[in-house]
Amino acid sequence: MTTPPVIEIQNLTKSYGDTLILKGIDLRVDAGQVVGYIGPNGAGKSTTLKVLIGMLPDFGGSATVLGMDVRTQALAIKRRIGYVPENAALYDSLTPLEYLQFIGQLYDLDPTQIDRKALELLRLFQLSDHANARMTTFSKGMRQKVLLIAGLLHNPDVVFLDEPLSGLDANAVVLVKEIIRQLANSGKTIFYSSHIMDVVEKISDRIIIISQGQILADGTFAELQHQRPESLEQLFAEMTGSDGQTDVAGAFIQTLID
Amino acid sequence: MMAILVALIDRLAPLFRLAGVDVPQLRAIVRVKLLMDNRRSYTTLGRYGKKSGERNNTFLWVLLFYTLFGGLFAVATLSFVEPDTLFLPLTLEFSYVMALCAMTLISDFSSIILDSSDNQIILPRPVSSRTLWVARVVHISVYLFSIALAASLGGILVLGIRFGVGIGLLCLLMSLLSVMLTVFLTNLLYLGLMQFIGEERLREVINYTQIVMAIAFYGGYQLLPQLMPKLGSNTAVMAHQPWHLLVPPMWMAGAIEAVMLRWFDQTHLLMLGLSVLMPFGGLWFMNRFLTGSFSNKLSSLDQDSRPAASPAVDPTTPSLVNRLAGWATSAPLERAAFLFVWRITSRDRKFKLKTYPQLGFGLAYTVIMSYNYSKLGSSSHFYLFALYFAGLYGMVAQYQLSASDNFRASWLYGSAPIRQPGFVLLGAVKAVVVKLLTPFYILLSVYILYRYGLERSSDVVLAYLNILNMVLASALLSQRHMPFSVAVDAVNQSNTGRGLILMVVLSAIGGIHYALSLIPYGVWAGIPLAALTLWLLANRYRQSRWDQITMV
Repeated sequence: MTTPPVIEIQNLTKSYGDTLILKGIDLRVDAGQVVGYIGPNGAGKSTTLKVLIGMLPDFGGSATVLGMDVRTQALAIKRRIGYVPENAALYDSLTPLEYLQFIGQLYDLDPTQIDRKALELLRLFQLSDHANARMTTFSKGMRQKVLLIAGLLHNPDVVFLDEPLSGLDANAVVLVKEIIRQLANSGKTIFYSSHIMDVVEKISDRIIIISQGQILADGTFAELQHQRPESLEQLFAEMTGSDGQTDVAGAFIQTLID
Repeated sequence: MMAILVALIDRLAPLFRLAGVDVPQLRAIVRVKLLMDNRRSYTTLGRYGKKSGERNNTFLWVLLFYTLFGGLFAVATLSFVEPDTLFLPLTLEFSYVMALCAMTLISDFSSIILDSSDNQIILPRPVSSRTLWVARVVHISVYLFSIALAASLGGILVLGIRFGVGIGLLCLLMSLLSVMLTVFLTNLLYLGLMQFIGEERLREVINYTQIVMAIAFYGGYQLLPQLMPKLGSNTAVMAHQPWHLLVPPMWMAGAIEAVMLRWFDQTHLLMLGLSVLMPFGGLWFMNRFLTGSFSNKLSSLDQDSRPAASPAVDPTTPSLVNRLAGWATSAPLERAAFLFVWRITSRDRKFKLKTYPQLGFGLAYTVIMSYNYSKLGSSSHFYLFALYFAGLYGMVAQYQLSASDNFRASWLYGSAPIRQPGFVLLGAVKAVVVKLLTPFYILLSVYILYRYGLERSSDVVLAYLNILNMVLASALLSQRHMPFSVAVDAVNQSNTGRGLILMVVLSAIGGIHYALSLIPYGVWAGIPLAALTLWLLANRYRQSRWDQITMV
């Protein structure tokens, strides 16, 4: 018996103006997988994520999440997915508690339940002392924690994370990695993009490398290693055509000395 | 206010549901937006007061000001004329309401309308674009309806007292309808603009609109009282022209005229119809057609800004700015600061918004004053007053120089090995003087020389030197900040007291200049003295040490 895929993309294309950002992506993700989606800047990672969460209805090809069409059933999908954006966008004149209450209301959650959950989650992220302070003064890591809570508060079935670890300190990175792992163990699907290769290497069930809008490699780390037995970092550099960084570094130093 | 509003939303819930809006979400969004407004300081309204803690009373002060101004206006235009000549005053009344609303929409709420943080925060949530749009409209309407009520309160009372409660209520209704119409028209304008130009250009266009609006507002404030007697004396009954049907405020005026005088001819019926149908038609049209494309446009706003490849610059021929910098500055650090400030002031929208209107208004003010107060204009050295007024704008620009939204980037000054920060300070002031103050001053003095004769040229030179002295003196006396190193809000706080002191010193120096002008060749004798002072002050400022500079 085959279970229906949680995410299915067929020949996904997306262009801004004349430039084609995604040039035909095909993907199938099953429940309970942790998928690491990696690629150089401008490869189309965030764009893929935005299409999948229904923010960009204007794309080519087809995409379904949880069996629902992204174009026509975006609202129903949004209720069951969580999304953590990359550039720490939140209303920072609010306090974390106010912000989380607001987000919870958008999902139609019970207010007293939101309060209880939000306070507990903030405590677990060691933000209890700041629960009622405005976020204008927060560091990037603190904001990222609030964003993570905001994306997970409604207990979504699929979680999309765009650079979830940026700005977090070492302890928080360990914690978030463990959260991702345990979410997947409980049957949820995690789809995240990242630049940090060794993290991707350690927690992903499956790694997808994209560059210039196309998938270059797709498989478990072991499978990818099978092609070239190197670290993910080297594999990534080779595949995305930025090999020979040592020479570039040499030239860089030389220019500084001149 | 929040409680009233939430109750109102609940009362209207069936209506919202009918339009396909999720009411709890609507309530949550509007509540959060208002909460954030309370914690934010206004950009253009900021000059009316400073915020204190949680409660931000700025908006109340603005409302009070609009009420007073609108009240005076209503008493002057509406209370003495015959009922059958009310059309023109009424048109002006509604124009005032609509202009205020449009201005507020464009200057203070364009940031809200074009806020792309909603894309990141609300669009990924299960909120329909219709709900989000209605939430925006409700949010903005709260302010607009308050403004419209404040602005038209005088008119409503005057009409109510003169012609009965019914007409007063009708006037109230028409004011509210005109707000709806304004929202529709402004929305249409934005969408039209968004159709043709990208986000960056749009923000640019809005910035200049804000500047023009600010000038128009200052100018109108000056001009209106002088126009009023002329309006009051206009006793002819207006004959209605076909083009009247194209001017929205005239619909409202015509509707009131129709009901009040029981004039139900074709033109008046048309106006009555338009005044009621167009706002609702606009609302329906926006809800039907614009919501989808609006949020689509919004979500694509972020994407358009991909890094653009820069045009090739030829490094061999120095640009005009570079040559100016070389000519105006003496040390490399000073020159770097000059170029830095020159470039940022061309691109920082907040800086432009704070300084350009003042410059434009200064010029308009001088021209208007020199004509209207001919007595003051020629005999009592009005031109001196005008020239020194320019100094005030120079000081405002110099003062705004320390503020920036990117103030955090000022770590740079701390990490770079700058031994004498005075070079940076002086270079920055020179940039402001060369770029903003001098061109403005030249324009002003050309006008003054044209109007008062070439024999005033000595005054023009002396005043220029004195203004530079003033700018430097005020820079020396006030807290010294590196350019663009302070948060915008922090700068606005201690503004009033400082402005007062400057006014006193400015008028003292102006007074000395006036005294010199009474002595033969006194002004000519003053020039070398002023130049020497300038040299001393500039040296003093250049020698500013790190311990004299406040870093935030």
